[in-house]
Amino acid sequence: MIHIQDIAFQYRRKEPFFQRLNLKLTPGNIYGLLGKNGAGKSTLLKMLAGLLFPAHGKIEVDQFQPKNRQPHFLRNVFFLAEEFELPRIRIKTYVQRYSPFYPEFNIVQFDQYLKEFRLRGDQKLNTLSYGQKKKFLLSFGLASNCRFLILDEPTNGLDIPSKSQFRKVVAQAISEERTFIISTHQARDMENLIDPIIILDEGEIIFFQDFEQITNRLAVSRQLEQSLAEDVIYAELSFGGYTVVKENTDEQETHINLEMVFNAVVANKEKIHQIFNR
Amino acid sequence: MDLNHYFEPSRFWALLKLEAARSRKGIGMTFILVFDMLFFIAMLLHLYIESEEKIFDHYDNYTSSLLITGFILSSLAFRDLGHRLKRYNYLSLPASAFEKFVCQWLLTSFGWIILFTIAYTLYTWLANPLGHFLFSGVEFNSFNPFHPKVFTSIKYYLVLQGIFLAGSAHFRGYAFVKTLGILSLFAAAGLLLAYVVLKDLFLSPHECHDTHCELFDHFGAHYIWPLAQWLFWWALAPLTWLITFLGIQEKEV
Repeated sequence: MIHIQDIAFQYRRKEPFFQRLNLKLTPGNIYGLLGKNGAGKSTLLKMLAGLLFPAHGKIEVDQFQPKNRQPHFLRNVFFLAEEFELPRIRIKTYVQRYSPFYPEFNIVQFDQYLKEFRLRGDQKLNTLSYGQKKKFLLSFGLASNCRFLILDEPTNGLDIPSKSQFRKVVAQAISEERTFIISTHQARDMENLIDPIIILDEGEIIFFQDFEQITNRLAVSRQLEQSLAEDVIYAELSFGGYTVVKENTDEQETHINLEMVFNAVVANKEKIHQIFNR
Repeated sequence: MDLNHYFEPSRFWALLKLEAARSRKGIGMTFILVFDMLFFIAMLLHLYIESEEKIFDHYDNYTSSLLITGFILSSLAFRDLGHRLKRYNYLSLPASAFEKFVCQWLLTSFGWIILFTIAYTLYTWLANPLGHFLFSGVEFNSFNPFHPKVFTSIKYYLVLQGIFLAGSAHFRGYAFVKTLGILSLFAAAGLLLAYVVLKDLFLSPHECHDTHCELFDHFGAHYIWPLAQWLFWWALAPLTWLITFLGIQEKEV
């Protein structure tokens, strides 16, 4: 369980972020943290991982305060940063040196993940591409059986087949005890994977709903002309017409386009708030 | 309070092995560089210039090379904290700040002293016959790693290396140079303070020769001297260790 209470954060010589942010995350979910660049996604994830400290307020991750960085907390949290640097050693050497710090590390699982991502233990980490390095780190993080997997923009730098592989592997790895938090500004990459959805904008959580609620309340459809009807929350010109987000008044089940939902939430916060708080 | 949150032998051992393995190449290169310089510059070039010298011993070179290399090594102990991306790995590695500190302290203090002293002894076993072959008129004293001079050097090293360890935990990049800079500022402030406190002694008539200065005799007799000695031998190192530990604990990405 992750419990964030009234936290605030401020980078040196910058405007304060997160004025009294509250959030409760329960295990067994893959939370999708969406937001524009600079919305505060990475800052929030780093605070959850104990790499940044809140100016005030409290964060609890399984009764641990991340800022204390106690080993029993760290061995249950795997943070995959957007940018990283790996040592110039072979994959198997990395595993030999770092896996003893993770008591639940499973070498059989690790080998399976490597196989899935078409990597080999004898490959040198410095010879891998950025995407391959990410796949390696993800394999290590998943095989460490950490209860909390925090991924910051994990699909950046991955090609299209790798993105599908990523979704498949992550979806298979979730369990009742684990919590995955994935931040992205590319909502489409995470479709059919993340649920619930958290949208962060200018340091505030403006949307926190599970997929079922979203499909119950919103409908995404295509139409030839942009309707000015009141029920259109957001419309976007697309090939041969418009894609619009409307309130789902007739309980029709539609295919939810996550990117459209994100744009609708950011563009029309008040309307969305009204719909979801009725 | 669960002490396992702060120290667990198996985790500490894994950390020690990890850090030792990571420093292996750097230490190897340091040895090659240092012993090359000791042999070619500190020994052969020195004997060539000082052609009158009839006896060569290795104790002074041991002291200077142990101190310089050890200080540089200590400045690199927490180099990951000074690197924007490596900092993530280091801070999220599941070991406590206390274990991270003790690990680097052990490696850069006793670890380095033992390794360097063994390597230095082996070097002298090789350098002495080679030196004798090139300068047959010079007597090369053998190096005894248990000589009192060696222990005196080690004592000074153990106290002073903490300063560089603290610099390594606090400065982002160029820790050695920045620590030297801060150290010289403190030294200047200390000398200024000493001058203010001991002004009468400084201004009193005194004689100084090559090896002896009356001024130091006066200092030794002053009531402040035992306090300064106590601070140096007993307070300086623990203070730098505490500063280092806090630097690791409070560091953010």
